[in-house]
Amino acid sequence: MRLAFVGKGGAGKSAIAGTFARTLARQGDKVLAIDSDPLPGLAYSLGLAIDHSPPIPDDAVIERKEGEEGPRWRLNPDVDPFDAVERWSVEAPDGVRFLQFGKISGDPRNLWRSQMAFRLIINKLPAGRWNVVGDLPGGTRQAFTGWGSWANTILIVVEPTAKSLLSGRRLANMANLDPDNPKRVMVVASKVRQDGDVEMIEKGVGLEVIATVPWDEELAEAERRQLAPIDFAPACPAVLAVESLVERLSEETVSR
Amino acid sequence: MKLAVVGKGGSGKTTTSSVIARTLARSGRAVVALDCDSNPNLGISLGVGDEETERLVSMRQALDEGEEEHANNWDTLISRYGSDGPDGVRLAVVSRIDNPEPG
Repeated sequence: MRLAFVGKGGAGKSAIAGTFARTLARQGDKVLAIDSDPLPGLAYSLGLAIDHSPPIPDDAVIERKEGEEGPRWRLNPDVDPFDAVERWSVEAPDGVRFLQFGKISGDPRNLWRSQMAFRLIINKLPAGRWNVVGDLPGGTRQAFTGWGSWANTILIVVEPTAKSLLSGRRLANMANLDPDNPKRVMVVASKVRQDGDVEMIEKGVGLEVIATVPWDEELAEAERRQLAPIDFAPACPAVLAVESLVERLSEETVSR
Repeated sequence: MKLAVVGKGGSGKTTTSSVIARTLARSGRAVVALDCDSNPNLGISLGVGDEETERLVSMRQALDEGEEEHANNWDTLISRYGSDGPDGVRLAVVSRIDNPEPG
């Protein structure tokens, strides 16, 4: 399983992705949770107290020299993508491994090499070794411009607001622009509060809603307290909804 | 006044910006609202609607695809890539949605 959560900022991607990764790991699957958002994100929802694991070292990538052909950045030939994940990811609860592409503190250009390394490592990670659960930054910028090409399933998280629907529709249109890299694209309805919300989301985005995560005060409280929803409120309706989503999608996972 | 609203996704930047723009315009000031988000939504909160928001976005995309000329000054930019919203706020979409830079 290689699954990326995308959607407008604030739709609930990180909370859902973190809960999804933990649930998958609890059922015995080998899970790599990845975060390519330069702002705070997935770590808290996974249950890690800090959100700044050391970035991937700068020398993991090599920059093209003047006059050379090819892409500007290449993975250092000494770096094996599988080993790199083992080495630079950190351990999260339930045995989830967590890898992120670096958080901005100061000049964002300082993270450029580390971020390119992250992207190359994930894109070159051999299939069938890890279940990869990714939390992409909000909006449309990163999702399908090389930063989400590792995924074979895209879950668009949409809440019942006009802006979230518009973002969802744009993401749905962008998801399959590359004919060589077809993806399964589905919608997760988030923060659903009233009758008609799911229908509105389905109609607005134009794709099937495969899971409905209700608005949940306990989930909101977990976010306020910087705790993983699955630890703070393991039986709350939102967490249960994510657990059913895992069940629905887990026919193609890699066991440990 | 030149004011930028920033923050994490979903924290309310677009909503806040739109209310500031409409309130300033109602007090008689000339207001240009610039949508610099790579996922431009400001049109919806300002009240220009879904379709007009998407029309401005396609204008901006056409620019990158070479079908439109770049505006060489502020007035041209605002007139060509902008739209009139309620209370006289002029909305322009500045960012493209498929920029491959990270972040």
